[in-house]
Amino acid sequence: MQELREQLKELIVKELNLEGKSPGDIDDDAPLFGAGLGLDSLDALQLAMAVEERFGVPVPEGEAARAVFASVNALAAHVAAARAAAPGA
Amino acid sequence: MRLWITGIGIVSPLAVGARATMDRLLAGERAFAPLSLFDTAGCRSRVAAEVRDLRVADVAPRGAAAGWSRTDAMAAVAAREALGEAGVTAHDGPLALGVGGTTAGMLETESDLAELWRNPGTWRPTERMLSHPLSATADALASILGPFRRVRTVCSACSSGANALILAAAWLRSGRSERVLAGAADGLCRLTFTGFSALGAMSPEPCRPFDLRRDGLSLGEGAAFALVETEASARARGAEPLCELAGWAARAEAHHITNPEPTGRTAAEVMSAALARAGLAPSQVGYLNAHGTATRLNDSMEAAAIRQAFGPAVAELRVSSSKGQVGHTLGAAGALEAAIAALALRRSAVPPTMGLREVDPECALRHLFVAEPVALDAVMSSSFGFGGSDTALVLCRPGFAPVPAGARAGASPPTPARVLVSAAATVGPEGVLGTVGGAVYLVPVPGSGPAGASAAVPPAPARLAFEARDHLDVERARRVDRTGRLAIAAAARALRDGGLGPLGPEVARGVGAVAGGAFGTIDACCAFVQKFLEKGARFASPAEFPNLVPSSPVAHTSIYAGLGGMVISSHDLAATAESALATAVELLEAGEGAAVLAGSVEEASVAIEDALAPMFAPELPSDVATGRGRRSEGAALLLLETEASLAARGGVGVAEVVASLAWRGTPDAPLSELAAPGPGARAAVVTGRYDALGASMLERSAWRAAPRHEVAPRVGWHEAAGGMALAAAVGALAAGRWDSVLVLGLGRARGYAFVLQARARASAAGPQPEPLTGDAR
Repeated sequence: MQELREQLKELIVKELNLEGKSPGDIDDDAPLFGAGLGLDSLDALQLAMAVEERFGVPVPEGEAARAVFASVNALAAHVAAARAAAPGA
Repeated sequence: MRLWITGIGIVSPLAVGARATMDRLLAGERAFAPLSLFDTAGCRSRVAAEVRDLRVADVAPRGAAAGWSRTDAMAAVAAREALGEAGVTAHDGPLALGVGGTTAGMLETESDLAELWRNPGTWRPTERMLSHPLSATADALASILGPFRRVRTVCSACSSGANALILAAAWLRSGRSERVLAGAADGLCRLTFTGFSALGAMSPEPCRPFDLRRDGLSLGEGAAFALVETEASARARGAEPLCELAGWAARAEAHHITNPEPTGRTAAEVMSAALARAGLAPSQVGYLNAHGTATRLNDSMEAAAIRQAFGPAVAELRVSSSKGQVGHTLGAAGALEAAIAALALRRSAVPPTMGLREVDPECALRHLFVAEPVALDAVMSSSFGFGGSDTALVLCRPGFAPVPAGARAGASPPTPARVLVSAAATVGPEGVLGTVGGAVYLVPVPGSGPAGASAAVPPAPARLAFEARDHLDVERARRVDRTGRLAIAAAARALRDGGLGPLGPEVARGVGAVAGGAFGTIDACCAFVQKFLEKGARFASPAEFPNLVPSSPVAHTSIYAGLGGMVISSHDLAATAESALATAVELLEAGEGAAVLAGSVEEASVAIEDALAPMFAPELPSDVATGRGRRSEGAALLLLETEASLAARGGVGVAEVVASLAWRGTPDAPLSELAAPGPGARAAVVTGRYDALGASMLERSAWRAAPRHEVAPRVGWHEAAGGMALAAAVGALAAGRWDSVLVLGLGRARGYAFVLQARARASAAGPQPEPLTGDAR
């Protein structure tokens, strides 16, 4: 799980071009959108695409995405659960 | 001076022809069907409004079809109809052409882009690539309907077509033209289809503008052109007007690259400003053809803006969106929907919003579910583009709007405003330089150019050592690609030098921007297309997509720097920078805006190196060792202001643009109308690239004796070299080295010339001009 969290943070920094930030700057529990990292709806779309591309796990859209993108912890839990549920994961 | 529309032509997904299209719009028909042009696997939708039964070979000249796109063919059919209805040809007197668009030949060339991105160096250009540059559509029109005196290609994403009409109005009002064929065309392609899908902005079903359950847009394609002319020009040939182009306004939201300002503030401003321009009250407008894309964000923003702009008169204002019938035709939409509004006015019948069943309370307006007969005096069409480029047009019955202030019927055009240069900036081999610094590029490379040898200067690198973090806030610019960052760095420097910095959210709200790249943001397009072709449409990058629009560098600059004026790109191959400067001068002199950043930006690109440059600039030197070109990149922007605007904030400027010429084809002596520099004046000629054609033009001009300087050997070979030449000329004038400079910019069968004259030298310790707006800083 720790490794997955680190991978997700690296993905966030790379995909959203957070120049000047390193994965270590992102708090596991801090909100990603709005007040936290200051990300917006376009970032959410980019991150959802990148998570699916990297981990093979689709991210729900609309209201359901809010919970998944609440924090790095929430996103990691979503990816881990989806992988565990998938056959052969 | 009144501006009459005397001909309209339309190619839409409903029909070829304006009358047939309007018949079907009024009948409530919708053009949506599963897309046949390409595979839509992995996209959120399969439906689009496609123009059927269009064969490029039926429209293109014999033998040229391989280099024509569907966009070109649609444009040609619509333009021909407009000319036919107006009863004019290019041989009946000088005719100008203004074209808006966003994709041009993308459909025909996107597979090639992916291939050359995958295998750089092995791909060989094909004739198809001729249709790729955004300016290709204008060139295609010129080849069958020309010659045109003045030709321009502009882009502001989904308001491109409306802005082409504003440019036409500017040309007519300043007296540069008497007749303009203006409009836009845009064909469907994988890139836009996949991109809007990735943005989650596309509905799986035919779209439902203003509906409570709307869930995104449906794409369409099409073309529309209008013949716009002065009342005097039309009367002289006994032509009847269809309607009058009475009002217009364009501004930028400077808010977000994809999301509209939630309050609709700027959208409301352009509607009010267009009404004011027309001299009409909101209650006099009977119908508004809305942008109405059917995305959640657009429609609620737009409804709020309409309510703000129209006030109590909104109760009587009929509103409909044609996108429920023909889809979102992107770059063509502004022209197509203005044409539909004009036809509604003519036929006293308003088309409905199809797909609308239950009105979203947030979008409460007087919507039409079925067509309605109604006598109309005036109508409006509004368009909003990516990056927040908002435009509104007002059309009315001939003679309905009051005669514009200061103009009597039949009077000569209003006196053009004087246009000054208050600053310039470049991003090039010498880094990011300000106004005076640009003159460094006049120092010649040993053994090159007619000016002789000098100190050793290293040749320009292919890729500049430009580190964005040294020049701009990369956190704020994190979505901006390299091209946009080069543009922002130049803009920031020019604004600061011009006394309009430092940058902030409300700085420079009155400043617009006109800049382009010859081939757009080409590398980003290649990478985007290659990824979705290889991995599937699901993995297209939503954040990258907005960067693919040809106007994205100026849109990003507008957002970053808070530029709230008219923000568009201008494209004309090797003369792109010059086309942008000419456009900016023409807008300012006609009273469109007070200040504009103008120039171009060009990135070092595999696609340009391997495919586009060999086709469009084979005369440029190539690297002997590799057999490939050795091209560089750069950005150059001039800050132009009207004399009145600059004087109001206490500035005098460093130069005045005393002449601005643009021509097409190969006129005998295009520089013949330029006066000699004047006795005793220290004068010079500066060009991006100097060649035999330029030499022969200069030999036959009054500037034959002036020393000539070519900057390309110093700044590198690229399409923005002309912008560097302009900035270098401004630098030399600011430094007091010359009194007068002729800047000459040539491309394939096109040319531009500007005479810049030094202003009184302001003392370095003298007062800086005040910021443009009171709330700046």
